[in-house]
Order: sequence, then C-alpha cells, then structure tokens
Amino acid sequence: MFTKRSEGVNVNMGRRITWSECPAHVCVPRTTVAGGAKGFEPAMAESFPLDEFLDVAVDAAKIAGEVIRKAFYRTKRPEHKGQVDLVTETDKACEELVFNHLKHSFPNHRFIGEETSAAFGTDELTAEPTWIIDPIDGTTNFVHGFPFVCISIGLTIEKIPVLGVVYNPIMGELFTGVHGQGAFLNGDPIKASSQTQLISALLVTEDTTERDKPSVDAITNRISKLLYKVRSVRMSGSLALDLCGVACGRLDLCYHIGFGGPWDVAAAAVIIGEAGGLVFDPSGGDLDIMSRRVAASNGHLKDALVDALKGSA
Amino acid sequence: MVGNIPLPPPRLLFYLFFSSHGRERRRRQNSDPKWEKTTVRFSSHFSSSRSINRFSSSSVLISDASVLDGFLAVAVDAAKSAGEIIRQGFYQTKHVEHKGQVDLVTETDKACEELIFNYLKKHYPCHKFIGEETSAAFGISELTDEPTWIVDPLDGTTNFVHGFPFVCVSIGLSIGKVPTVGVVYNPIIKELFTGVLGQGAFLNGTPIKASSQNELVKALLVTEVRSLRMCGSLALNFCGIACGRLDLCYEIGFGGPWDVAAGAIIVREAGGHVFDPSGGDFDLMSQRAAASNSHLKDAFIRELNKSE
Repeated sequence: MFTKRSEGVNVNMGRRITWSECPAHVCVPRTTVAGGAKGFEPAMAESFPLDEFLDVAVDAAKIAGEVIRKAFYRTKRPEHKGQVDLVTETDKACEELVFNHLKHSFPNHRFIGEETSAAFGTDELTAEPTWIIDPIDGTTNFVHGFPFVCISIGLTIEKIPVLGVVYNPIMGELFTGVHGQGAFLNGDPIKASSQTQLISALLVTEDTTERDKPSVDAITNRISKLLYKVRSVRMSGSLALDLCGVACGRLDLCYHIGFGGPWDVAAAAVIIGEAGGLVFDPSGGDLDIMSRRVAASNGHLKDALVDALKGSA
Repeated sequence: MVGNIPLPPPRLLFYLFFSSHGRERRRRQNSDPKWEKTTVRFSSHFSSSRSINRFSSSSVLISDASVLDGFLAVAVDAAKSAGEIIRQGFYQTKHVEHKGQVDLVTETDKACEELIFNYLKKHYPCHKFIGEETSAAFGISELTDEPTWIVDPLDGTTNFVHGFPFVCVSIGLSIGKVPTVGVVYNPIIKELFTGVLGQGAFLNGTPIKASSQNELVKALLVTEVRSLRMCGSLALNFCGIACGRLDLCYEIGFGGPWDVAAGAIIVREAGGHVFDPSGGDFDLMSQRAAASNSHLKDAFIRELNKSE
C-alpha cells in the first residue's frame, strides 16, 4: 500500500491503491520530485502536457470570469438549493461554458461540476484525468455584490490534484498552480507566509449552509476558542479564495468543515502545495478532497493549528 | 437561540465583526449628541467665502453647500495621497509594533496620519483634529461642536500587515458633532466611498444605496441570517452597507470614533441607518455602532438585544 504524495500535499483520495493495481505505464516509482520529497507518482511529465492543460483552463476561467463580472453588477434572481444555499443562472451558465470549452480540447477527460452534481449526483472520482469545477465559489457574495467571488478549475490525474486555476474576475486576481512548477498570482510567483507564531497568525474560516443547532454551535464554539489563540479571524465567503490567500501569504491558516464538495478545494490544493504551504484534514491526517473537510497552513503552523482545532472541538 | 421555532428562510447577508481581545478600550464621556434632532440648514444666499459661523448642539448653519463640496474635495485629495503610501507599503515587508496584545500599528499608519493632518491643516488651520495614532500617543480629544476632522489613517492594520486587501483610509468631518462629510478609500481595490450631508453617497462617482432587503428571521446571528462575513475593516463594512453588498453590521468595543466618523455619513446618505446596538442614538465616541439598510433596523435591534 502506498499513499500518493507530492510536495507539500499529502493526499488520501479516499481509497489507497496498491502497487500491483497501478498500471506500469502511468505509475512509475520516482526517488525524488521537485523540492526533494519522495514518493510514487504518475508519469505525468511524459504522459500529460500539463502546460497545455493549464493554458486551456486559464482561457476557460477568463471567459467564464467575464460572464461573472458582467452579471455581478446586475440584479440577480437566486434560487435556493437549501435554506441558505443559493444558485443562479450565472452559476449554471458558467459551468456549461467551462465544460464545453474543456471538452472541446479534451474530449476523453472526465468532469465533475458543482451544478451538474447538484442535479445528477456527484460522480465517483476515478484515476482518469478529471476536471473538477466550481463555476462560482462565493455565490452568496455574488448575489449580494460582495467582491469575493471566483471560478475554480482543478484537474486530478490518478486522483491527485495536479493543476489548479482560481480566478476572481472582480478583483482581477488569477491564481495558478501546476504540479512541480510553482504557484503564481497574475504571473508573479507566490509563497505561503513565513509566520511561525500562532498568536501572530491570521486565520480564515467560513460558516456553512447548515442551520441546525449542533452544526451552528460547532462553528461558533470553534471560532470562540480560536480567537484566544490567533491574531485575528476572517470570514470572506469563498473557500477557494481563502485557500489561495494562504498560498500567497496574506493569510496564514484556513480550515473549513462541512463545505459543498471537492470543487471548492481541488484547484486551490495544488496552488497551496506549489506555494510551499500544506493542505490536510483538520484532524491532522491526509486531505481527502471528497470529504468536505479541509485545513491549510504555511509550512510552519500545521501542528499548531491541528492542536488548536482539537482543543476547540 | 430558540430551538423549536420553525425558521422562515433567512435572506440576509449579515456582517459580524468580533472585536479583537486584548485591544485597549477607552470610553469617553460625551455630551450625547442627538443625531436625529439636529437640524442643518443650508442657505444659498451667502457667498462661498463665508465659512461655518455658528454652531450649537442642536443646530448648525452651513452657509453654502459648496463649502461642504470644498471640504469633500480636500478630503478626497488627502485620502488619495495617503492611499498611495498605503498601496506602496502594502506590498513590502512591514515593521510592526503592538499597541496591545493583538492591536497593531505600523510606520505607515503614523506617516499617513501625519500627511493627512498636515494637508487638512494647511487648508483649514482653525479646524480641530482627532486621529487614531495621535490619540494613542496623547489621549483622545473631546469632541466639540467645532468642525472636527476625525481620521483613521489605516483601518484594517492587521489586514495591511498580512497583505489581505481590505484596508482603507477613513476621513470624517463632524460639525456640531454631526458627521457631515465622509471619505473612505481602499487603495488596493481602488474603491472610493464618499458622502456629504444632504448630497447622497457615492462609490467611485456612482450613486449608491443601501440594500432593499426586508426580511430578518427571528433570532440573531449564525442561525438565522443568510451568512456571516468578517473582513477586518469596520469603515469598509459600513461602506458595504451603504452600497448594498452587506445588509447588517455591528461592533462593540472598536478602537474609536475614527473607525466610523466617515462611514456613518456615507451609510446615512445612502439611505441606511446608523445607531447604537441597544437601539439608542448613535454616539460617535462610544466605541459601539450598528448599521443597517432602511428596513431592518428595528428587527436587528430586537435580535441584538435578545442575544445579549
């Protein structure tokens, strides 16, 4: 049994595959990856043109971003997916636009999208190249005109996030990350912060769409306890942008338990890893992108955050 | 929270701002300005060369609306100059001091306050000034009826230190203890909010209005509203109410009048309300404030009181 690892990102995709299951042509042992971490990896460099995938994904994000940006300043008519969970025509239109753009270039790839999953159920994540898309992360913000919205496009291969694009068209911020190639904001390299003290750290989290008392109490109790341990707390309304904030160092820590689905983290997980940050389960274990639980930190504060979260449970 | 009452669908974006623990608090007695009873009379008969010539706690005579426009123009210039310093400093490493356990100040805060004060004093040498950093050093001046510039050179210092783009300059002018002119400028996102008494509120020159949301569900806070935001800048939160991207906001125990002096007039000119979280009149010096659109004030106050 082995766990796929890439630099900074320990990922458990929900089912570990054994060495004997891993086809030789897609999975070869490597002694080093970029930065020196050891692990087994798909032969991505030989088999998959990640740069080309990135170009197409960025194009798709920008086209959809323009749709979002224009709609942002108009009156929206949201529908309710739940008591507080919203969706708009723009969500659906952008998801279709992005799917079509990617399918045109990569007809054999698979797709998991938030709105399609809401309608038809979430497909199981397989080893094939799979695009995981949130057409608008921060729909509540979008409806209200609060400028923290983004489109999130992630690509997994062998169930590992290998490429991520997160684009906020209102603030004009494009975050990208490709396995082994670093992370960037509008073309400039980004790094997670160098903060080593929890009390000096800026933490971001979110509320959920659940409104039952146990869920709400869990959220507020955690925040109450963490306020004594960190410099300050932020809640912005977009988990993908929160995670990118950790990647570029403007935030030090992030956690969220009970968010919508893998589309919220698939892209940003790569970006954080490539920026030298860490993404993991809030319990300290490996990240499972299907679990709807995530935590992220710079390279120094993972253990402190995990301890603080245990103390606040 | 009342657990068994069925919940009508919540529809609001609610902003919750926790004040950081450890922040020093100084409560000052104030002569309790009566916002709602203050009358402001404009006269077009006087030339614009006449400035404010008489004040009392209950009425203000302003000789010409163009005088207020002049104040606004100078304040906008000052905000933009300070904003440029903030913008350049935003992308550099900061050297931070602590005013309290978590309350931060930087050289940028101090440099901006000095720049703004000097600029305003050059134009209006007889006006009074209350600034966050000067007050921290020398104590907060009492608010009088005289025209008083109330300045936060950098609201959201923690955000500034960390590079989180919710930072702003906040410049408010009170006359007769009434917020009369307000400028809030976020130089990172380049959003300039302005408001002048009787002349409306604007974002980058476009008129803004508070939201028209009119449903507040029964209990407060996380259970009953659509969602929470915590952004790190109270002045920008108020501006968010003014332009309708937020519906409700409150904070108890923030730094001082400089956090709300500008935002208060901008919210009001956009058709929103500013008040004490208890439901009483807003007291600029009390370090307590709540804001809402025009529909939700009473419901919000009821729920805030229930949650005490």
